[in-house]
Amino acid sequence: MSVPSLESRPRLAPGCRLSESSPDQVFLLMPEGALRLNETGLKIAQLCTGDHSLQEIVEHLTEQFGGADRQQVERETVNFLTRLHERRVVDFG
Amino acid sequence: MNGPLALIAELTHRCPLHCVYCSNPLELQARENELDTATWLRVFGEAAAMGTLQVDLTGGEPLARADLEQLVAGARAAKLYVNLITSGVGLNETRLDGLVHAGLDHLQLSFQDIEETAADEIAGVRAHAHKLALAVLVRRRNIAFTMNVVVHRRNIDRVEQMIALAEEMNVQRLEIANVQYYGWALENRAALLPTRDQLERSIESVKAAQERLKGRMRIDFVVPDYYATFPKACMGGWGRKMILLDPAGRALPCHSAGVIPGLQFDSVREHPLAWIWEHSPAFCKFRGEQWMPEPCRSCDRRTQDFGGCRCQAFLVAGDAATTDPVCSLAPARSLIDGVIQQVNSNREPQPSTSTQPALTYRTNPATTAATRKRGA
Repeated sequence: MSVPSLESRPRLAPGCRLSESSPDQVFLLMPEGALRLNETGLKIAQLCTGDHSLQEIVEHLTEQFGGADRQQVERETVNFLTRLHERRVVDFG
Repeated sequence: MNGPLALIAELTHRCPLHCVYCSNPLELQARENELDTATWLRVFGEAAAMGTLQVDLTGGEPLARADLEQLVAGARAAKLYVNLITSGVGLNETRLDGLVHAGLDHLQLSFQDIEETAADEIAGVRAHAHKLALAVLVRRRNIAFTMNVVVHRRNIDRVEQMIALAEEMNVQRLEIANVQYYGWALENRAALLPTRDQLERSIESVKAAQERLKGRMRIDFVVPDYYATFPKACMGGWGRKMILLDPAGRALPCHSAGVIPGLQFDSVREHPLAWIWEHSPAFCKFRGEQWMPEPCRSCDRRTQDFGGCRCQAFLVAGDAATTDPVCSLAPARSLIDGVIQQVNSNREPQPSTSTQPALTYRTNPATTAATRKRGA
């Protein structure tokens, strides 16, 4: 599968959403499954609304992790989202 | 102790279909024994409090419950992720909208085949055309949508057409599940178990489609464990991940645990769910490794497959505490090999049903005389 473009606007697929039961541990819920999110995963998932481009998400995260290497943030974000896309949890609009 | 990740709620054993591989027990719970709305809602809250994330509303056919919308809303209010496992029979656009509005997250629609006649023969009722129309309506709603097809000797050669239909319907997820041999399916095993050639061809087809459709459709494929080298981690391990409630509120570690003699199943009518999960003798019986015989006890795979399936051990080998006989290391593996040999020594399966073993159709829960009179 090709790498998503930085202009694409990722969004959680229909029926995929964040858990609401505990603010201490948020899961990404999907059909018959759940993914335990770490802090970074949660930040990314929260930005997958279709309103933000991949580029904007990467910039936002780089800023949040003051001084992080932008290239590395981009690589990791794309990897994470590509894996979710292959599981049909994220759409690239 | 961690709570179960998922609660499987068998809301009813009533069903308009009569599938020859139904996972319900041979002894079905009658309508008058079903839990009422309030009890189910209480249980959903108790599950969420234990950390449970998902509820599978299933049956029988869950749509047979007139309070299904209330149950969906209650489960969602308890902050559970709500899956509905349905044949779609009894679902129209108005009711679908009611369920979506109530907070349904995911609908799994079962298909018996892609050919109408064959599908209706397996289901024992005409339902296929309705399912096709319904799929279009579901796809337009903002919920997750899975197409589920159960495969066996009579339809596994049509896996590619099943995938094509799923593509046409533009579903997110396709689950192609080989029949697992419990309950009604075990009764019909001689007619349903595919040959090794059939299985290998289907695996090739699925692999190619998974690669081609990556990112568009997720395809989950469940193989028949009779052909496996090692057993499946049934239910993710006994009493580890899931709890199933039957329509009467009895808590079971899996769909068919009722076949194992000597197990007592506690009911949510008498106990809180958390007590059952932690203390019910049925859940403790095969939890962990204490119960394990050799070769499981010293096997490196025991933390992956947990010794396989207890029900299968009982149904095939007559002892629920022995290694799952599908395991190549199991003392009883020869019993599985015997079945496989029989299936594979026959000529290629004939399309004509007259030369195949007869099918036993799933019945419906027995009704008392009083109910029957009321219903008539």
